[in-house]
Amino acid sequence: MSTHTIELTTRDGELLRFDCDADQSLLEAAADAHIVLPSQCRQGSCGACYADATRGDYILGEHNPAALPAGAAEKGGILLCRTFPLSDLSVSLPFDHDRILLGEIRRRNADIAAIEPVGENTVRLTLHLAPDDGGSVAEFEPGQFVELEVPGQAIRRAYSLANTGNWEGRLEFLIRLQPGGLFSTWLREQAHAGQTLIVHGPQGAFGLSENGLRPRWFVAGGTGLAPMLSMLRRMAEFQEPHPVRLYFGVNRVEELFCLTELEALKAELPQLQVILCVWKPNQDWQGFCGTPADALAQDLDDLNARPDIYLCGPPALIDAAEAAARSQGVPVEQVFSERFLPA
Amino acid sequence: MFCYQCEQTYRSETASGCASTKGMCGKDATTSDLQDLLIHGAKGIAQYAKRARALNAPDNEAGGFILYALFTTLTNVNFNATRFTVLLQQTASIRDRVKARYEAAALAAGKVPESLTGPAAWQPAADMEGLLGQAAEVGINAGLEQVGPDIIGLRSLVLYGLKGVCAYAHHAHVLGKESEAVYAGIEDALDFLSSEPTDADALLNQSLALGFLNLSVMELLDAANTGTFGAQQPTQVRVTPIPGKAILVSGHDLGDLAALLEQTRDTGINIYTHGEMLPAHAYPKLKAYPHLAGNYGGAWQDQQKDFADFPGPILMTSNCIIEPQPQYRQRIFTAGPVGWPGVRHISDKNFAPLIQAARALPGFKETAETEKTITIGFGRDAVLGVADQVIDAVKSGAIRHFFLIGGCDGAAPGRNYYTEFAEKAPMDTVVLTLGCNKYRFNQHDFGDIGGIPRLLDMGQCNDTYSAIKVAVALAEAFDCDVNDLPLSLVVSWFEQKAAAVLLTLLALGIRNIRLGPTLPAFLTPNLVQALVDRYGLQPITTAQADIDAALAPKAA
Repeated sequence: MSTHTIELTTRDGELLRFDCDADQSLLEAAADAHIVLPSQCRQGSCGACYADATRGDYILGEHNPAALPAGAAEKGGILLCRTFPLSDLSVSLPFDHDRILLGEIRRRNADIAAIEPVGENTVRLTLHLAPDDGGSVAEFEPGQFVELEVPGQAIRRAYSLANTGNWEGRLEFLIRLQPGGLFSTWLREQAHAGQTLIVHGPQGAFGLSENGLRPRWFVAGGTGLAPMLSMLRRMAEFQEPHPVRLYFGVNRVEELFCLTELEALKAELPQLQVILCVWKPNQDWQGFCGTPADALAQDLDDLNARPDIYLCGPPALIDAAEAAARSQGVPVEQVFSERFLPA
Repeated sequence: MFCYQCEQTYRSETASGCASTKGMCGKDATTSDLQDLLIHGAKGIAQYAKRARALNAPDNEAGGFILYALFTTLTNVNFNATRFTVLLQQTASIRDRVKARYEAAALAAGKVPESLTGPAAWQPAADMEGLLGQAAEVGINAGLEQVGPDIIGLRSLVLYGLKGVCAYAHHAHVLGKESEAVYAGIEDALDFLSSEPTDADALLNQSLALGFLNLSVMELLDAANTGTFGAQQPTQVRVTPIPGKAILVSGHDLGDLAALLEQTRDTGINIYTHGEMLPAHAYPKLKAYPHLAGNYGGAWQDQQKDFADFPGPILMTSNCIIEPQPQYRQRIFTAGPVGWPGVRHISDKNFAPLIQAARALPGFKETAETEKTITIGFGRDAVLGVADQVIDAVKSGAIRHFFLIGGCDGAAPGRNYYTEFAEKAPMDTVVLTLGCNKYRFNQHDFGDIGGIPRLLDMGQCNDTYSAIKVAVALAEAFDCDVNDLPLSLVVSWFEQKAAAVLLTLLALGIRNIRLGPTLPAFLTPNLVQALVDRYGLQPITTAQADIDAALAPKAA
């Protein structure tokens, strides 16, 4: 079995090296070296471990093509969980060093505090972390996710956090109830306040980039709103002065949710502009008709803007928004995305 | 970016200075460039402020802003590009206010206002790309090809010394002490730099002027510290934790510590000092708080391990912050000039979030560890209080020599020199410490000489004034010059506060200082030679060789 040296370079220029056997994925070998890289499904489906190979040969194993940006695989785009080295490799990571955990992913218990419907087929799940050796605090970066596991059942799903780190141990999620989905079914039929879940995390590299005062435009499809809410709430908490827009889209008007929260955010973050987008609106709809990617493309063109763009939602939305950003000349390093894919 | 202001800057056989996408300190190119532009903007304020002051229309509020702004650009203080973008807008706004004040004063005095150029005419670009474009024109090595490395090195010496002066003056300012003369001196220096000086003698003279200015700033700071909290007293400080909720305070800002102690009174939360905050335990009005529990961890460069292990929130009040690790990133807070992207900043001394975090975090558990203490607090009053005993010990030969080991610590292995120096210093010598380079050896037992401890900690680098006063008082007692005292200065430098202190020592005519672990990268061989010739400044060699040289009889 041949072993190869893998060299990772983070977005902020830090170097990490580890050895990887030919039959090991880069993600597994990094974990063996106590380097926990952001990932989610670990089976080539979700795109959370996307990176770019800049030198060396490798095999990119079976994966969901939608987990990679369009055309990326031909230009060195890889999924760390599905990449096996054929030689020494250099890999460029699209996140900063501080998103790499040098240790193990934290595992904690949390009790369900509330499950509330917030829109058609969408619920807000609130958990309270149980105190452990680290106390009762909820420590995470806005944009990150955790995996929720139902004890005793083979159900484990990743969800983005919608609130910000806090000292009460509160975790808030926006969850779309998928027809036939394991976690969705459990949530709809069995879950109740007081039940205990296992929380794995925080994890993930999606989050705010600190680039001075460049405007921040957030583009969310459906429950892709959750990490955007987290980042906007952080901006409000820190009273950050960046010009900021949120493009929030759903398919039908009835599916809109969290509008009260968005109004509250506008009060705390006065420069926030919210553009609600409905793809198939009814006749009464006064807002934008189309997807948030359509609205983004229109405003980038009209305003000749080059903001930092944050995208979260289904792959088709991300691809369309990335294409719009590209065509308007927004540098690729100013576009940050997280794809929602069924695991 | 181009930055070579600190000791750890990138060095190779062909080039010195951090000039890639990220400096050795972790500062990214964007932040570094915005810092350069902020200094440019501060020069613009100073150009008008100096002229306004000459017309009896000073703007001390602008002076206070300059102190703060320059402090944010020191090594390991502020890494937050967003904060700098905001500061740049403020800078232009303050400059416009001072300009209007100057022009009104000039007209009132029957004079035609000068039309100033250079930094005074700068207008911040509307977007980041524009700001970075402006920054590229005003870095420390701008004009290198025209004026050569020696002039750039001397401008750097002035600017970096000035940054240190501003940092110390800011520490005094937040405790309510300011001085018109200090503001005037700082405005003069920035105005001088804005003229892009090319005369080496003028630049050297400005450096020495800053050395003297720094002495008055240190005096101001000494008065601020002792006036607010009393004179330092020899004090036993616990270095093992007590079970219970805990907050760790690092940096130099005693005012922040005092505010936190007050806000945590009777809460059951213990407050620990870290790094340069250690001397706080020696001030009567601070140590009166029973929950100022002890000192935790080592020097600043150990913070990533110390902070990760600490079971409570951490407050960073000034330099030196290094990249917060994920293990404690959510529970570290910054205050004053400090900043890190994504880290909570408290700008109004309302530490409620910190206290809330302390209550939620586990704190220290019961431990079987035996209590350990160290002794600190040998400030000016404490040392001079036993001056007669010290003088007698010197005259009798019981004390052969004093070594003042002062300055900053750092991660470089070469800094073991200072530990080795302290440990190898003969038993008939006394080691005085000042600054954060003592943490490598301050828990060792050095014994005493006739009841006088062999290791006397005089405090933070902020307490340099105290050390100078002691040296001057001893020289008077022995009826000699400070350079004739049985005293050697062994200085480790890391950042710009140390540069300011070094300029003060040189301005006072102190000779034969040993400086290490390496000499500043901005000092060219010609400049080093000039300092060697004029002041006998020497790079460190080995601890034993330097001790032997210091103790060797002086040539007649």
